[in-house]
Amino acid sequence: MIQSRLAFKVPEVKPAVSKEPFRIGKFEVLLDRSKCTACGLCAQVCPTYIGSAIVEYEAFKKPSGILRVTNARAMCEGLVCRKCVESCPTKALTVRINPQYLILGDKRWTADLILSTWEQAESGKPSGRYEYRVGDSGGGFDKIRFDFELEEEVSINEIFEAEDRDTSIVLNRRRDGRPEISIPIPVYSADMSFGSISLRVMVARAIAAKAWNTFTSTGEGGYPNELIPFKDHVITQVATGHFGVNAETVKRARIVCLKYAQGAKPGLGGHLLADKVTPKVAEIREVVPYISLFSPFPFHNVYSVEDHYRHVQLIKDINPKALVSVKVSTPIDVDMVAIGSYYAGANILQVDGGFGGTGAAPDIAKKNIAMPIEYAIPMVHNYLVKEGVRDEMVIMASGGIRTAFDVAKIIALGADGAVIGTSELVALGCKRCGNCERGRGCPSGIATTDHALSLLIDPEWGAQRIINMYCSWKKQWNYILSKLGLSSIRELRPKNEVKFRKGRFNHLVHLDHLR
Amino acid sequence: MNTSVNRLNSTFMRYHVETREAQWRFKLPPKFRVKIYNNCVNVQECVQACVYNVHRVGEDGRVAEPVEELCRGCHRCTLSCPKGAICVELNPAFERLGDSYFTPERIENIFFEAETGRVPVSGAGYGGAFSGRGFDSFWFDFSEIVRPTRDGIHGREYISTSVDLGRKPHNLFFDDSGNLVSKVPENIEIPIPIILDAPLSSSSKSNLNLALAKSASILNTFAIVSADDYSDDLSDYGSNLILRIGPNEARKVAGLIKTSPIVELDYADNALDENRITDDLRFVRKVNPAALVSARFLGEDSVTEKSEASVKVGVDMIHLHVEDETVVHDPDVVKRIIRGTHTRLVERGIRDQVSIVFSGGIAEAAHVPKSIILGADAVAIGLAYEIALGCKVCHGSKHEAGCPLKVEEGDVELASQRIVNLVGSWRDQLLEVLGGMGLREVRRLRGELGRAIFFEELEMKIFGDEDDSE
Repeated sequence: MIQSRLAFKVPEVKPAVSKEPFRIGKFEVLLDRSKCTACGLCAQVCPTYIGSAIVEYEAFKKPSGILRVTNARAMCEGLVCRKCVESCPTKALTVRINPQYLILGDKRWTADLILSTWEQAESGKPSGRYEYRVGDSGGGFDKIRFDFELEEEVSINEIFEAEDRDTSIVLNRRRDGRPEISIPIPVYSADMSFGSISLRVMVARAIAAKAWNTFTSTGEGGYPNELIPFKDHVITQVATGHFGVNAETVKRARIVCLKYAQGAKPGLGGHLLADKVTPKVAEIREVVPYISLFSPFPFHNVYSVEDHYRHVQLIKDINPKALVSVKVSTPIDVDMVAIGSYYAGANILQVDGGFGGTGAAPDIAKKNIAMPIEYAIPMVHNYLVKEGVRDEMVIMASGGIRTAFDVAKIIALGADGAVIGTSELVALGCKRCGNCERGRGCPSGIATTDHALSLLIDPEWGAQRIINMYCSWKKQWNYILSKLGLSSIRELRPKNEVKFRKGRFNHLVHLDHLR
Repeated sequence: MNTSVNRLNSTFMRYHVETREAQWRFKLPPKFRVKIYNNCVNVQECVQACVYNVHRVGEDGRVAEPVEELCRGCHRCTLSCPKGAICVELNPAFERLGDSYFTPERIENIFFEAETGRVPVSGAGYGGAFSGRGFDSFWFDFSEIVRPTRDGIHGREYISTSVDLGRKPHNLFFDDSGNLVSKVPENIEIPIPIILDAPLSSSSKSNLNLALAKSASILNTFAIVSADDYSDDLSDYGSNLILRIGPNEARKVAGLIKTSPIVELDYADNALDENRITDDLRFVRKVNPAALVSARFLGEDSVTEKSEASVKVGVDMIHLHVEDETVVHDPDVVKRIIRGTHTRLVERGIRDQVSIVFSGGIAEAAHVPKSIILGADAVAIGLAYEIALGCKVCHGSKHEAGCPLKVEEGDVELASQRIVNLVGSWRDQLLEVLGGMGLREVRRLRGELGRAIFFEELEMKIFGDEDDSE
């Protein structure tokens, strides 16, 4: 039942620029108006941006004060150029690193990663001005490189000239009579509920998933009717709250995900604060509006591996054609959990690492609980290899996977593919400010249920941005595979145990252990 | 009779910390600075865009001065301004708070917890460093399928946060007719594994001590007070105070010892001298046989020997103290000291003859369960509550210039409420941790290294050459 790969056509990149009039750049130019004589020399020497249209005449009529002249839509070359500063006869200009750039993002999602993801979402290609591969967390992915990255500078043009490689993966390898669903890229999009994110964002993600012939997921907040047209590309999630879970929604899906835990807050269950439980959210979840919702923890009908088996079988009985995915977090014995899920009959094991996203979680949980995915995947992979069942299970990694290179690295560490959440939201304009849970929710209209705010995201536009990002990622995977001399991304996954020697394994280099 | 805190009442009362909004007399500097440049043309897009009401229209119909303290750094106003006239940047005054360990973010959280008593919650995934040193170098292990969780967070299942102070007998003896013949030592149960350390700051201690004593009595735990600082105001709270006495001081304060449930002998500044501990101990026991005796040591590498020796001479509690400033420069010291001492006592088979209280470098709620996992029974917080009351974390270096931590007479009530809020919030976070681990009580967490995932070990296991014998 392998789907015809010929029928699938890679979606096209179409420009989807930000609707905001301004943009945050890395550098900015300040003009001291009391010194400026409006001679216009700066505009003449600037290779990229200061044009007459930007330094408006209007502004000069004001006698004093500081004016910001950067139009960040254009690209200031910053401290290496300084042509405008040097040419100014009255020394009225200063170039500096934009203080806004400095506060954007955090150690994991640096300002560079956010800005480069925005670039990819707009044009299907990073400009190369910003780091687009790794963050600055000081460990894990951020310390791992492919060996070719150490040898030479990777140029963007080279990436985008690489020829097409097979990046598809199959989501069922059990030969259990269920469909062998294949997706053309090694990722599908993560579970985010209606309630944590807006309906328009869910629809945008579903359109993108359909265009890429992959999947998105309902999350635990029920199955809104608006997603039914995309039902072949929507995973129904069954979580502990059972919001909106019924035979109909389970039967509708080609993949059903049993969510046991979430990497950002394992052991704590879901939490949707009262403000975000609008009447529409309440209706789908079958609850009372404006009351905080807790998903209990855990599934109280699953206390043992035998219960787990019955749980998986229950879903399989309800929907004989669906694949069952089991989503777990990363305790130290995650390998035992993995083998348990194998024997319970799961087709896909989604391992959600400790640095994953969330709509709301106590800070103590996000920082302190569970392993990062970079450790969990090799552990699970090695254990399943030892047990001789690795080739029957599909392992999807999630939680802290931000870039195309992260995806390739986690596959080289033993996963089959990855599940992407936050990156898609960043493509839609998320700035990682972390205010998703408060009041009306996300000020950018993504993680919100407020009607007025959610209108900020147009589903078609949003979908195109996600499509563009994956177009860019696809090119980067092509490039990595061609650099490594592999014809398929499935060859990147190690066949045997993951074992680093002198900081190297399977084309990967860990900078802290390199000898 | 001296009343120990937990004479069990005949009726069972579920322990609950009553928190109340308690605003301090000043606020922390806002995290963000919002600037509007001169090229603002008053299109008021920012007013439309901001969901936090930072930007408003003033009485003159123009965009007013932004209200910086409401800003959450979402960048919406900057992006929506067609002139690029708005700049949101990190407030240098905020950035200067604290130091590299007591970071501005930690101080902000403590302030929030003390003000509201709530648990800090936020959206999006964790954005900090991959791992760190000291308390940051290990994660909790929540094993959701293998060990199902307890539902204490929503109050449906009771999770106990009580711990015992004092020694426990190794075994019990009974006579032929089954009557207990062993003498069971006094134990004091406190409902939270947090006690309040004596103030570190030099100025205006008396009101602060009063606030601490009040908080300790509301929380049903203990506050440590130095014999030098003891005043009559405190006598109402005697059953919630631990009396700390310096070396050679014991004989001068016999009266106070008589009424104190716990007496702490402070050897922090001294070399080990078993004879003196024995002497002091004998004296305290003579004056007040019911009191528990604690020995306080400075946490340095020799502390394991000191601890072992003092357990052997018969103290009931050990208070391991590390200077906060030491932790700032060497965060790993906490791991060495707690784990080292705990492990040594376990190896000698005497761990249960003593309770270990740890203090130093406790800067966030997670440090309480982490200290306990490393082997402490309870922690004593010091700088944390001082930060809640306005301490600027100068580690004593600017005290002459005037310590900002001052509790005025009228503020005692408020100060104690803030301490209660802080501890209440930390207890709620402890419950989250215990619930997620599937533990019913915090006593079981002590020394449970299996409930922690250590960064160094995993890093070597996955990325190092683990089984190379080189």
